[in-house]
Amino acid sequence: MLLSLRVGFFLALRQLRRSGKGTTTLIIFVMILTFLNLVVVSGLLVGLISGSFKQFREAYSGEVLVTSADGRDYIENSPALISFLESHPKVEAISPRYSVGVQLLGTLTDLPGKNERANRIGISLTGIDPAREEVVTGFSRFLKYGEHLNEGEEGYILIGANMIKKYSSFADANIPGLTLLEDVDIGSRVRVSFSRAGGGVVSKEFIIKGIVKSKVDEISTRAFITDKELKKLLPVNKEQVQSIAIRTDYEYAPTLVAETKDFMEGHAARIQTTDEAIPSFLRDIEQTFSILGNALSSVALIVASITVFIVIFINAVTKRKFIGIMKGIGISPQAIQFSYIFQALFYGVIGSLIGVILTFGILKPYFDVHPIDFPFSDGILVATAEGAAIRIAILLTVTLIAGYIPAKLIVRKNTLDSILGR
Amino acid sequence: MIRTEKLVKSYGSGELELVVLKGLNFEIKTGEFVAIIGPSGSGKSTLLYQLSLLDEPTSGEVILDEVRTGELSLQEKTDIRLAKLGYVFQDYALLPELTALENVALPIIMQGLTTPEAYLKASLALERIGMVDKKHNLPSQLSGGQQQRVSIARAIAHEPQILFADEPTANLDSANGLRVMEAFRDLHEKSDQTIIMVTHEPEYAAFAGRIITLVDGTIVSDERKKPLK
Repeated sequence: MLLSLRVGFFLALRQLRRSGKGTTTLIIFVMILTFLNLVVVSGLLVGLISGSFKQFREAYSGEVLVTSADGRDYIENSPALISFLESHPKVEAISPRYSVGVQLLGTLTDLPGKNERANRIGISLTGIDPAREEVVTGFSRFLKYGEHLNEGEEGYILIGANMIKKYSSFADANIPGLTLLEDVDIGSRVRVSFSRAGGGVVSKEFIIKGIVKSKVDEISTRAFITDKELKKLLPVNKEQVQSIAIRTDYEYAPTLVAETKDFMEGHAARIQTTDEAIPSFLRDIEQTFSILGNALSSVALIVASITVFIVIFINAVTKRKFIGIMKGIGISPQAIQFSYIFQALFYGVIGSLIGVILTFGILKPYFDVHPIDFPFSDGILVATAEGAAIRIAILLTVTLIAGYIPAKLIVRKNTLDSILGR
Repeated sequence: MIRTEKLVKSYGSGELELVVLKGLNFEIKTGEFVAIIGPSGSGKSTLLYQLSLLDEPTSGEVILDEVRTGELSLQEKTDIRLAKLGYVFQDYALLPELTALENVALPIIMQGLTTPEAYLKASLALERIGMVDKKHNLPSQLSGGQQQRVSIARAIAHEPQILFADEPTANLDSANGLRVMEAFRDLHEKSDQTIIMVTHEPEYAAFAGRIITLVDGTIVSDERKKPLK
């Protein structure tokens, strides 16, 4: 066996070295494309969704997100929780946020006619500390028009672009139930109103200071004022916030979640890592894209295996006489088979190596810097060393089989028939 | 020593059966240089294939060193071919991707020697037939005569008991044919190499010490004579 391997390697090395450069290049090119198809196509498909996960984490949730528990209006024990998080050595920054569902009236002077609908939308109003929000999410980068809020500033509001007809990506879509603010822009006055818990309505006018836009809905479909001002408007529970975004080490997030749950024992709150906080339908899409990617990869694998099979088969058929002669002079059939398997593996290994260099040296860094501008996310290339290693193993296994079968078919032919070309 | 017992080889069956070898009995002793001659279709190449274990007889047997080869497996026959037999084919049959040295070294490596050891032995074999200066040439860079001499070096490099040659001069001009035959003669004289050669050319058969003539699958003469010097 070892001797056959050695002779097989001896033969393969020389056959490869002295074979046609064009054919070798073409086969390696096919293997590179197959590898890229295996890793990059599925990686990009999954990356479209993973990109949105990444943006959700970077633009909104942080690594850990604490929100109100189901059926509760706020995070219980918020002040103590904030203190706990602020003093936690692994927590880099937090951004507590107030949120309340409000009605936003866009036209304050021209009241609608009898059959006209008021220029009014329902929107989630979020109170933020601009400085803390900046540290956690880099909020100012979402400001597309106008100016950002200053800390403690009152009377000014930022509105998500997707809620204003002039800026919304959905302005031309006729979506039932979707109402957008019309005729408002930077500097316009709008009125915010919401019901008090005990009855009555809170109402206040704001000047639109800026328009914020992101592929994360939590930015583009909300309105923002300073936390201090919203706190003043809230009739009760002024110290209890609705969400806290926490920036920490991604790997540490599950531990922090467990520690926070321990701390909050007896107080209602939903404490999740960013991955847990992502809506399940997005997870389903990710899984579907992954399956789709794998299906496309399977086709590529079949094409590659057929290519290798044909190349090795033609190679073996055209050298049938020499295979017969080798058997005739005492070279074991196993050694001859190994020589073809080594050749097939060479194509697979070189193709994979170049594919790895292209993927991790060029494509991944490129897509990290220049993500694909997808409507709901910035698509990245999801490619891990582990995933690539698995795909290389699959590719090499398929290549090995595709090389072995034709070699076996030709080598097992009668020696004399092969020599005489019968 | 190699001998045959009622060796029969036929192709097809029934009315279409063609009997090529018709129950041959003969023996070739170690150190003999035997030429098998005969007209086309007489069965001489078929006989060589049976003797060299490249083919299986329809009936009868080839006995090599008292081993009944009909009882051997394919692998055992391959092992015997590697250890005891050497082949020179009509059309040289060198592997095109291997240099002369590599072609000659290949069966030696298969015998378990390291590559440097095999190259050394191969170089010696090439030297014996005057081809050492071309050892790094690919077959495509050699003339027909040179290729055939490399083929002889490959056949003798692993020091086989019996060297089989199937029409070794058929594709060569007379000058190159003569050089190949001189190489065989030298091998026989200097190393007492057993050689069994098929040829249809009487002038080359004259280099052998024994000439077996086949006609229609039957031995019509088996002469021992003084070989041509």
